[in-house]
Amino acid sequence: MISGALAGLIHGTVNFAIVEPYLDQAIGIENQNLFASGEEEDTQEFWVEYEGYRMWQKSGQILAGVILGTSIGALFGIVFALSRNSLPGNHDVKKSLVLAGVMWFTLYLIPFLKYPANPPTVGDTETVVLRAILYLSFIAISGFGALAFYKLSKKFKNNKKLVSLIGYGVFITAVFFAMPENPDEINAPMTLVNEFRLMSVLGVSSFWISIGFLLGLFWNRFESHKESIPYT
Amino acid sequence: MSHSKIETSNNFKTPIFAILVLGIIFAAGLFIVGFDQGHIFSLVYGEQAFTDLYIHELTHDMRHAAGFPCH
Repeated sequence: MISGALAGLIHGTVNFAIVEPYLDQAIGIENQNLFASGEEEDTQEFWVEYEGYRMWQKSGQILAGVILGTSIGALFGIVFALSRNSLPGNHDVKKSLVLAGVMWFTLYLIPFLKYPANPPTVGDTETVVLRAILYLSFIAISGFGALAFYKLSKKFKNNKKLVSLIGYGVFITAVFFAMPENPDEINAPMTLVNEFRLMSVLGVSSFWISIGFLLGLFWNRFESHKESIPYT
Repeated sequence: MSHSKIETSNNFKTPIFAILVLGIIFAAGLFIVGFDQGHIFSLVYGEQAFTDLYIHELTHDMRHAAGFPCH
């Protein structure tokens, strides 16, 4: 959990540096829409209140990074503890980085390709629950699918293990096309959306690299059940 | 020529209780950052929490940046 919290802190800080400018840009569009519709007035009071609110939200980004990191760190710790002996590599850092790569791919990248991150202004409040269910379902299907095919691979020997990898590929491709699309229209400039998505991927990737490195390091440093077997 | 190498082995079992606690922490943290729409504070503030969306607004930027659905 400590490695997760630290990785989350890194994630939040990276986001603060590279994602926030795009969030500000998108929220700027929302503000212009509010002025145009007459819901808000473009006054000095508005901007003073807005700046204070945004600073609060930006600080919340760091806090949320630590909470999310601790949360995913808990899951990562469980999976690492249960799978460590099966992971390739002769060092805990290598093993942990391999697992982080697998989880980044199955729990983040594949769901992201189906339901990519969107900046503010994209996303209807009325559909947020549906979108949350779809996103969470796809993550769960991908994660449990990977686990099931990994279990299957244990029954195969050597080069036949590739069969389970291909099996997961076929399975997740079928799920990818079977799952409903995001119901919301994109009504923000595509340049902004695409650049935001790229920064989002970089931010989340920084988290998985960090947690893979940190957990392996901590595990190697603090594990009390390690047996050293010197041989000549 | 002799070679010296350190191998590590992991011969302990992960306690079920630890898995359970970590699982709860995972679910709670994920819900707070990714999915709460006033549910947690509604336990104290009632229906008003679904209007205020305090946690949603606090975690707003991370929700977008980490790919969670938001408004």
